[in-house]
Amino acid sequence: MTLKYLIQKEFLQIKRNAFLPKLIVMFPIVIMCVIPWVMQMEVKNIVVDVVDNDRSTGSQQLVHSIEASNYFIFNGQKTTYKEALNEIERGKADVVLVIPQDFAKNVAKGLTPQVLIAANAVNGTKGAIGSAYLSQIVMANALPSTAAIQSRVSTLMLYNKHQNYKLFMIPALLAIVMMLMTGFLPTLNIVGEKEAGTIEQMNVTPVSKWAFILSKLIPYWLIALFVVTVCLLLAKLIYGISPAGPVWLVFLLAMLLALFFSSFGLIISNYSDTMQQAIFVMWFFVVCLMLLSGLFTPTRSMPHWAYLTTYVNPMHYFIDAIRTVFIRGGGFHEIAHQVWALLGIGLIMAAWAVQSYKKNS
Amino acid sequence: MKQFVSFIVKEAKHILRDKRTMLILFGMPVVMMLLFGFAITNDVKNVRTVAVTSQMDHLTQAALERLSRSEYFTITATVATPQEAEQMIRSQKADMAVVFAPDFASKQSGVQFIIDGSDPNMAQQWMNYAQGVITNMQGGLVNTKMLYNPQMKSAYNFVPAIMGMLLMLICAMMTSISIVREKEKGTMEVLLVSPVRPLLVIIAKAIPYLVLAFGILITILLMAHFVLGVPLAGSVLWIIAVSVLYILLALSLGLLISNIAQTQLVALLLSAMVLLMPVIMLSGMVFPVESMPKILQWVAAVVPPRYYIDAMRKLMIMGVGIGEVLKEVAILAGFTVVFLTIALKKFNTRLE
Amino acid sequence: MNAIEVHNISKSYGKVKALDDVSFTVGKGEVFGLIGPDGSGKTTMFRILCSLLCPEAGSATVDGFDVVRKMREVRCRVGYMPGRFSLYQDLTVEENLKFFATLFGTTVEEGYDSIKAIYSQIERFKDRKAGALSGGMKQKLALSCALVHQPSVLFLDEPTTGVDPVSRKELWAMLGSLKERDITIVASTPYLDEVRCCERVAFLDRGKVRGIDTPDRILSEFADIFNPPGIEHESAGKVENENVIEVEHLVKAFGSFHAVDDISFSVKKGEIFGFLGANGAGKTTAMHMLTGLNQPTAGTGRVAGYDIRTQYEQIKKHIGYMSQKFSLYEDLTVAENIRLFAGIYGMSDAEIARKTNELLEQLQFTEHKNTLVKSLPLGWKQKLAFSVSIFHEPGVVFLDEPTGGVDPATRRQFWELIYAAAARGITVFVTTHYMDEAEYCDRISIMVDGKIKAMGTPDALKKEFNQPDMDHVFTHLARQATRSGD
Repeated sequence: MTLKYLIQKEFLQIKRNAFLPKLIVMFPIVIMCVIPWVMQMEVKNIVVDVVDNDRSTGSQQLVHSIEASNYFIFNGQKTTYKEALNEIERGKADVVLVIPQDFAKNVAKGLTPQVLIAANAVNGTKGAIGSAYLSQIVMANALPSTAAIQSRVSTLMLYNKHQNYKLFMIPALLAIVMMLMTGFLPTLNIVGEKEAGTIEQMNVTPVSKWAFILSKLIPYWLIALFVVTVCLLLAKLIYGISPAGPVWLVFLLAMLLALFFSSFGLIISNYSDTMQQAIFVMWFFVVCLMLLSGLFTPTRSMPHWAYLTTYVNPMHYFIDAIRTVFIRGGGFHEIAHQVWALLGIGLIMAAWAVQSYKKNS
Repeated sequence: MKQFVSFIVKEAKHILRDKRTMLILFGMPVVMMLLFGFAITNDVKNVRTVAVTSQMDHLTQAALERLSRSEYFTITATVATPQEAEQMIRSQKADMAVVFAPDFASKQSGVQFIIDGSDPNMAQQWMNYAQGVITNMQGGLVNTKMLYNPQMKSAYNFVPAIMGMLLMLICAMMTSISIVREKEKGTMEVLLVSPVRPLLVIIAKAIPYLVLAFGILITILLMAHFVLGVPLAGSVLWIIAVSVLYILLALSLGLLISNIAQTQLVALLLSAMVLLMPVIMLSGMVFPVESMPKILQWVAAVVPPRYYIDAMRKLMIMGVGIGEVLKEVAILAGFTVVFLTIALKKFNTRLE
Repeated sequence: MNAIEVHNISKSYGKVKALDDVSFTVGKGEVFGLIGPDGSGKTTMFRILCSLLCPEAGSATVDGFDVVRKMREVRCRVGYMPGRFSLYQDLTVEENLKFFATLFGTTVEEGYDSIKAIYSQIERFKDRKAGALSGGMKQKLALSCALVHQPSVLFLDEPTTGVDPVSRKELWAMLGSLKERDITIVASTPYLDEVRCCERVAFLDRGKVRGIDTPDRILSEFADIFNPPGIEHESAGKVENENVIEVEHLVKAFGSFHAVDDISFSVKKGEIFGFLGANGAGKTTAMHMLTGLNQPTAGTGRVAGYDIRTQYEQIKKHIGYMSQKFSLYEDLTVAENIRLFAGIYGMSDAEIARKTNELLEQLQFTEHKNTLVKSLPLGWKQKLAFSVSIFHEPGVVFLDEPTGGVDPATRRQFWELIYAAAARGITVFVTTHYMDEAEYCDRISIMVDGKIKAMGTPDALKKEFNQPDMDHVFTHLARQATRSGD
C-alpha cells in the first residue's frame, strides 16, 4: 500500500514546516474566540438626535420613550435640523427625529402631523431598521389605535428564540474556517513541489495518479476533522452553543465541504506555474463562492441570474444544510438534497484533480 | 538612476508575464463590484410565506392578496395547521408563516407570524414588513428620509469596503511575495552585493505595484460611478489622494510581511489568510465596529482599512470635505510611517 | 596593497564551526583558489568577503575596506556569483543579462568582450525564457550575468558546476585574461584542472586552513584527498548479451527546435553507459523520454522491455532515476526519505527497516539516520540519492549529472557505489561532465546538437579520433559542432 507512505510523507512535511502546524492549530482557535463577537449585525445602539419644535408634554413623552428603548442612544436635543444634520455628517449621530410644531395638539385633534425621520442610509440595513423602529415608537405614541392593532399581531420566532446572532453566525464561521484551511493549503502544495523540483522524482516512480492525489487530499481531510472538532468544542465552551440537530451530520457536511475545497485547491495547483498564481486564482474563487453562498446575505434576495449560480455553488449547499442542522435541528431527511449535491460536486472535483495531474507530458 | 529604472522595468515584466495573475488582479475588482452591485443585497424580497388558515373568508383572502402583491412576500402554500407550516420551515421550503385565527374575520384580530429566526436581522425585517402589510399601516404620520442613499442601495455601503479590502490585499500580498521569492530563489544575494542601495531595491519593487494598485483603484471608481451609479459626491482629487496614501500603507505592510516570512508559502499564507480575516471582520466592512465588545473595538482601532473605509464612506458617499476626514487621514499617515520605518529598519542588508 | 586580507576569521552556525581562525591574503590581480571538500566553509568565506555575513571573530578587508564597517564601499567594488546563482525564470536570456549589467552600472555592449566566450554559446537562445533553458545553459547564463561587469575583485563560488568541459576551458582562459586588467579573482572549484589554473590556492577543511601554496604543491601534498587512485574495474565479462535499452530514430521537437534529433543506440544489461554531450545538446530531454516523463515526437524505444510511448507507467516500475536537481525531500530525514521511496515501490515495512539499516551501515551513515537531508553536505546527499534510486533493485538506473559540484574524494566513493550496483546486474545510464568519469564507463556516446556523434568504448574512441584521453576526444567533437552550429 504505497498510499500509507505517501501520506506519512505529507504529514512529516507539514510537521517540519516552521509555520504550518502553528497556523493549523491557532487559526481556528483564534477565529472562534474572536470573530463571533465581531459578527454582530444586530442593529443596536443607534444614536438619535431629536429636534423638538413642539416642546409640549406630548413630545416630551415621545422623547422619553425613545430614551427608554434599548435600541437607541439618545444623543440630545438639537435646536435646528441643520445642526443635527451636521452631527450625522461627522458621524456623531445616525438618525434625526424632527417633531413638528403643535405635534401634540394636532394629534389630539385627530390630525396627522408630519414627523420627519432622517436616517444615515450609507449602511442601508442600519438605516432601514433604525428608522423602522423609530417610526414604530412614534406611531405607538401618537396613535394609540395602531398600538392596539399591533398588539393583536403576535410573532413567534422559531429556532433562534433569543435572536442570538452568534447562533446564526457560528455555522457560517465554521464554513469560512473550513474553506480557508482546506482550500489554501492544498492550493500551495503541488505547485510548491513543482517549484522545488521534487515532483519530477515522483513522476518517474510508478505511483498511480490516484494514490498521489489521495495522499495529498487525505491530510487535509484530517485537518478538517480537527478543525471542525475544535470549532464545535469552542462553540460549546465559550458561547454555550451546540448543534440543535445530530452532531454526526455536522461532521458529514464538513467532510463533504473539505472534499470539495481540497480537490479544488489541487486542481488549481495542478494548472498553476507559481505559488503566487495559484493563490490568487484560489482567492478569487473563494471570495466569489463565499459571497454568492448566502453566508452573509439571503440568496433569495438575489436577482434571478445570480440565484442560478447557487445551484453549482457547493458553499451554498453547505451553508443551507449546516444552518438547518445547527439551528433548525433538522435531520438527514431535511438536508438529503444538499448532501447529495455536495457529494456529487466533490466527487467530480476529485476526479478532475486526478485527471489534471500529469505524470507524462 | 538607470539602475533604478531598469529595476522597475524588470519588476513590471514579472507582473506582466504572469497573465493569469494579471487577469485575476483586474478581474477581481470588476467581478466583486458587479456582485455587490447587482447580486448581493440584504433587501427583503421573495420571502417564501405559508398561509395557515382553516377557513378562507373574504378578509383573510384580502390580507393574503396584499401580502402576495407586495414584492416582499410570495405565498408558496396554504396549509391548515401551524405544525405543517413549521415542518415546511424546518425543511427549508418556506421562510415564514402567517397564521390567521379562525375568528380573524369577525374580530379583526388574531394574526400570528411564525418566522424562521435563524437570521435575527432578516427575521426582524420580515416581521416589520409583514406587520406593515397586514395591518396596512400607511398613515402619513411619519415621513422617513434616507439620507445619502435614498434608494437604499447596498452598493453605497460596499464600494468603499471593497476598495479597502482589495487594495490592501493586492498590495500587501504582491509586495511580500516578490521580495520573499528573491530570497528563496537566491537572487537576493546578488542584489545585495550589487552597488545598488537596498533602499532603492525596495522602492523599485514597490513602484510597479503602486501603479498597478492605482489602475485597480481607477477601475473600481469608474465601475462604481458608471455601472453601479454610485455618486462620487466628494472631490475626486481627494478620494484619489487618500487612496494613494492607503496604497502606500498597504505596500509598507507587504514589506513588513516579507521581512518576517522566509519562504513564499509563509508569506502567502500570512497575507492571504491571516491578514484577510481582520481586514474583512474588524474593519467595519461588513460588521459595524460600534456593536463589537470594547476589547475588540480596541483591536479594531489598529486595523488600518477601517479608517480608510470610514474616510471613503464620508468622502465618496456623503460628500463631505477633506476637513471632516482629517483624523482618518492623519491616522493612515501615521500607520504608513510606522510600518515603513519598521520594515526598512528590519530589512536585512546581510544574510542574517 | 593586497586586494584581500583575512585575519583570524571565525564563524559558526549553532554548534557547527564553519570557519575556525582562517587567515590568508590575496594580492592584486591574483587568481586565487579556495578548495576543499563539501562543508569545509568555502561558501561562508565568500559570503563574509562579500559583506553578506558578519564574522564572529577576526577581520577582513577587500580592496582596503573592512567588510563589516564599510559594507557599501565593499559592495561597490566586488562581483559575486553565489553557488546557487538563480536567474529570473520568467525573463528572457537577454533581459536577464541586461538587467544584471545595468544593476552593476554597465551595459551588455561594454562588458561583451569579457563574456563573449561563454555568452556566444547561448546567444542564439536570447529570446527564450531563462526558465526554459537546460541546467548547464542556465549556469552559463548565470556566469555571463556575473561576469558582465568588471569589478576590482571577483568572487566565484563553484562557477562551473554542470558546465561542459569545453566551455569550462574557455571560461578559465577568459578569467586569465581578466588578470591583465588587474582584476583579482577568488574562485572555488571541485575540478582539478581548474585548480591548476589558479596561481595560489588555499585548502580549507572543516573550517580550518590546511595549507596555502601553489596548486601543484597543494595537490601533491594532499594527493590522497584530491587525486584518489583510479578505480580498478574489470568490465565485459559480466555484461550479458541482452539489450535493456533500445532506441531507434528518437526525435523530440519543441516547435521547430529539435532538442533530440534522430538518435539510435542500445545498452546491454549490466553495462555502464556514459551519455556525454555539451550543455543543451539534448541529454536531459533524451533521458526524460526514456524515463517516461516526456512523449517522443517520433521514433521508437524500449526500456526494460517496455515501449516508451505506450507503456511508460510500466517502465517506471523497473527503473531508478536521479535527476539533475537534487531529488530527495529536503525537509525529511535520511530514514524517512528511504522509507518513502521504498514504500512507493511496494516494499513491506519489515523489509524496509532491514534494508535501511544495511544501506546506512554500508554508507557509514548510521549516525545520520535521523538527520534532515537539508543539513547534509552535497556529496553525501548525492550518494544517498543514488542509493535511494536503486533501493528497489531496478533493472536500469538513470543518473543525470549525479556528481555535479562534488569533490574528487566523494566522487570516487560515488563511483564505487555505481560499480557495486553494476556488479549486481543493474544497468547504469549516466550523464556527466567529468571526463575522468567518462573513462570509468564501459561504453560512451557523445551527443552534439541533438545527434549522437560518436559511440564506443573509451579506448576505441580515443583511437578513432587519435586523441590521448577522453577530455581531448570530447573537446575535439564539441568544438567541431560549435563551428557547424554557428
